[in-house]
Amino acid sequence: MTHTILKNRRRFLAQSAALVGAASLGSGIGRAQAAETLTVATYGGYFEDSFKNIIYPAFTEETGIEIVSVPEPTSDAWLIQLETAARANSAPADVSMIAQNAMLKGQSTELWAPLDLEKLPNHTSLTPDFIHTYSDGRVDGIGAVAWYLTLVSNTDVYPEAPTSWAELWNPDNEDSLGLMALSSNSFLLEITNATFFKDPELLQSEAGIEKVLAKLAELKPNVALWYRDEGQFQQALQSGEIPMGQYYHDVAGLAAADGHPVRSTFPIEGGVRDSGCWAISRASSKQEAAHTFINYMCRPDIQATLARKVGTSPTVKRELLDLSDEEFASVSSADTPITPVYSMHNERADWLNQVWTEMVTS
Amino acid sequence: MSLQIAGVGKDFGKQTALSDVTLDIAGGELICLLGPSGCGKTTLLRIIAGLESASRGSITLDGDDLMQQAAHQRNFGMVFQSLALFPHLSVEDNITYGLRLRKMPAAARRQRAAELLDMVRLPGVAKRAVSMLSGGQRQRVAIARALAIEPRIFLLDEPLSALDAGLREAMQIELRELQQRLGITTIVVTHDQREAMTVADRIAVMNGGTIHQMGSPIDVYRRPADKFVASFIGQTNLIPATWQDDRLIVRGSLFDPGQAARDNQHTSPDSHETWLSIRPEELIVLDNNAASPPGATILEATVRFIRDVGASIEAHLELPANDNQPAQSLVALVSRDKVQHLHSGDTTRIQLTADCTVVLET
Amino acid sequence: MSAPVLNAQQTPAAAVEGFSRSETVTLAWPMIMLSVFFVIPFGTMLAVSFFERVPGGFFEPGFTLDSYARFIDPFFFKSLGMTMMIAGSASLLCLILAVPFTWTLTRMRHHHRVLWLVALLSILSLSEVIIGFSWSLLLSRSTGIGNILVWLGIENRAPKLSPGLGAVLTGLCYLGFPYAVLVLFPQLSRLDPTLHEAARMLGASPRRAFMNVVLPNIAKALVAAFIMVFVFTLGAYLIPQLLGKPQQWTLPVLIADQALFQSNLPFAAAMSIFLLGVSLSLVVCVGWLGRSSQARIEDQSTTQSTTQSAAS
Repeated sequence: MTHTILKNRRRFLAQSAALVGAASLGSGIGRAQAAETLTVATYGGYFEDSFKNIIYPAFTEETGIEIVSVPEPTSDAWLIQLETAARANSAPADVSMIAQNAMLKGQSTELWAPLDLEKLPNHTSLTPDFIHTYSDGRVDGIGAVAWYLTLVSNTDVYPEAPTSWAELWNPDNEDSLGLMALSSNSFLLEITNATFFKDPELLQSEAGIEKVLAKLAELKPNVALWYRDEGQFQQALQSGEIPMGQYYHDVAGLAAADGHPVRSTFPIEGGVRDSGCWAISRASSKQEAAHTFINYMCRPDIQATLARKVGTSPTVKRELLDLSDEEFASVSSADTPITPVYSMHNERADWLNQVWTEMVTS
Repeated sequence: MSLQIAGVGKDFGKQTALSDVTLDIAGGELICLLGPSGCGKTTLLRIIAGLESASRGSITLDGDDLMQQAAHQRNFGMVFQSLALFPHLSVEDNITYGLRLRKMPAAARRQRAAELLDMVRLPGVAKRAVSMLSGGQRQRVAIARALAIEPRIFLLDEPLSALDAGLREAMQIELRELQQRLGITTIVVTHDQREAMTVADRIAVMNGGTIHQMGSPIDVYRRPADKFVASFIGQTNLIPATWQDDRLIVRGSLFDPGQAARDNQHTSPDSHETWLSIRPEELIVLDNNAASPPGATILEATVRFIRDVGASIEAHLELPANDNQPAQSLVALVSRDKVQHLHSGDTTRIQLTADCTVVLET
Repeated sequence: MSAPVLNAQQTPAAAVEGFSRSETVTLAWPMIMLSVFFVIPFGTMLAVSFFERVPGGFFEPGFTLDSYARFIDPFFFKSLGMTMMIAGSASLLCLILAVPFTWTLTRMRHHHRVLWLVALLSILSLSEVIIGFSWSLLLSRSTGIGNILVWLGIENRAPKLSPGLGAVLTGLCYLGFPYAVLVLFPQLSRLDPTLHEAARMLGASPRRAFMNVVLPNIAKALVAAFIMVFVFTLGAYLIPQLLGKPQQWTLPVLIADQALFQSNLPFAAAMSIFLLGVSLSLVVCVGWLGRSSQARIEDQSTTQSTTQSAAS
């Protein structure tokens, strides 16, 4: 049961979400009734429930600020609502958890209020790359939670754990991989680059992307399933039907803990780290309270609680956390991760989608 | 082609639709299966056709075991109650369907269809759609189609029931002529006793899944074997009577039913109730003035109603109630010249004679 | 001669009375529902398909044919062809199974028939996700029906039947089967059973009689069932992605990707409109073919009977 709930939190692009979101557009939820309330949006479902039950009560007790929790459908749909409302100078939520692509899209209309690091003393605990900035250096987002995409395998079929993403290209693994179907959630271009080219500039140009794509196309005979539904792959992985692939580190760990013959490995090239930021709408009138909230969420003990109770990877430095090695390993890795090239997914979205789909379906 | 039906029975679940029917049909003979609906006549016909399997018994055609042959292997022609003309085919294609299955060349088929249409007196409709035909025309097409394959046996299930009365009688005569001309062994199922009397060489009167009587039309009419046959075939007067050893008592009077009836009774001499059947046209109504013939059995009756039915006069009489028996209605057909003296309310006398009275065996 | 004149006078009067106030009110409700649940969403979709896509962001109201221009691409037509092929084969396969099944069903005893129909209707309550997921399990190597072959000693290793074209067709067939049966059932149960028997008496084997006599007489229902299943499977987007290899990802899968993952609503809307247009014209074509062949038969017989009555 835990896995199905857990995995839902990452289904940012839940299918009905856009419609649900549009319906509640500009409904003015969370306009402050009292001075000491703050409206916070997180992904609806397991995520929002966890925050409401585990995190917010302690925050209110400590600061006296009441949290009004609202569910957001998907980052993209929520972005549209925030932007439309901001134009009317209202904010359906003061603080929202926003995925990386949506952060970039919001920057184009200056949707995110610049953050004052002075008011966020705890930001120093964070790993520096979790501080999100405008191109001119203004800070617009602070890492809220992170998660890893790793190499997973069935322990019955592969007694030895694979060590490198290069295993995906190994001809011995014909027809035995499960990979995500889209470039924007599989980050396979980044993985290919990190494994074979190790050139950070390569994914900045169409020629470079095509070169990486050609290398990626070589693994197609190995792919048994290009999946969109995480449950479908997880089931096949557990049964050994599809014994290897890419999957979420924490969910694979939970499956293993349940006794399934499944393991998650951080390859030598690193796991792919994706994350969500806290960002404040420019139309929010609660800048002070919002800063207080974000600062609180950056505290190492809160991050440790999130890692233990919600299964997310902490955004603060390892050495500041009181997590045991085992607890830390179940959600994260101290090695250098592969970072998604969000600008590529954002700026070349249509072109990339076209060449990607042609590569996969041909 | 002679057909032998021996001990054929059919059960539907726990219900017996047909119990052990035995019937021999000579070559070229036309047999009518006559009975009310649900008597098993159609079931018997369908078993002969091969459309229904028998639960027990055997059917042979000139010594050839039919039980081993499926319906389409028997080469029997059948006319259905619904006629079952193929709506998507023209008249000609309907008639030649069986010939096409027998791989007859197209030209020969057309020739044959024209001959058959001439035979059923329906020339020039070959290319028409069957939906364009009248009821009588469809009837003829159905007959032509069944005969086209030169069947070994010709089966008709209530073939004329859809036609109106006038046309039905004309078709009965035509059907009989056609059958005699072709000399084909034929079985007709009908519930119409007039139709059976018109067309049949022999009639099998059926009820409750058994054959009650098998005989020529006149035999069945004049010498009904039992109360069911007597009342189902034509109109009759049924008068209760009692055998006391070899003496027959009718409403308190002794009646001599003739040698044959007495012989019959001698085979099982005991006392039991029986019925006398007297056809209306054979009921003798005595003149008021005429003296009773000596030794004759005379019953007194009241005239209730006189009706002129054209060729003769129908008199409705009533035997008055006595100590043992209730009043009973009788119908007599009398000739016009004998009836001047009959008036409603009069008392008159009827005479029972051995010639015009049938003592029913049960 | 007076009868037709009388008729002609009656007709307009009847027509005027035909739309009484109460009937107008009765008609209004379906019209409202139709516009709320069909016309408005469709109109929105049509409008969005002409909106301008803002790369990396949202879309803006406007009028551009850019989204439609993206169709001029061999890849798109390959997907369209594949989509039509898959929906067509699935519908055909579905009919091949549903027709004999329904025929048998109409000949069953009443309570057996009811049981089957209830079972079929309960399939209708299953969502596409459940059907797709169940079949992916059933056709898998580790838990699938292929293991029966191993158990029987026919194969050494259970075959992996999913994902693949066969699996997609199986899933779509399963999805469409109850609809096909429900469309065919009334027509087949109304068909005179003695037609089949008559053909058998004339020498046709049961199978042959079925092909020669039963099928031509339910042609309309066959066309209706085909269109129904075709349109239904054309819209399926979960089964092709759960049971298919990427080569079998149909247009609806790509539309869903555009709408849900790429947030390119104008392009998704344009593709939807295009798919709708293509399937509608196919439906019209098939319907027209069915009608014209019907008309040809009737025409023929009318001309012939006219000729005949003229001759006589």
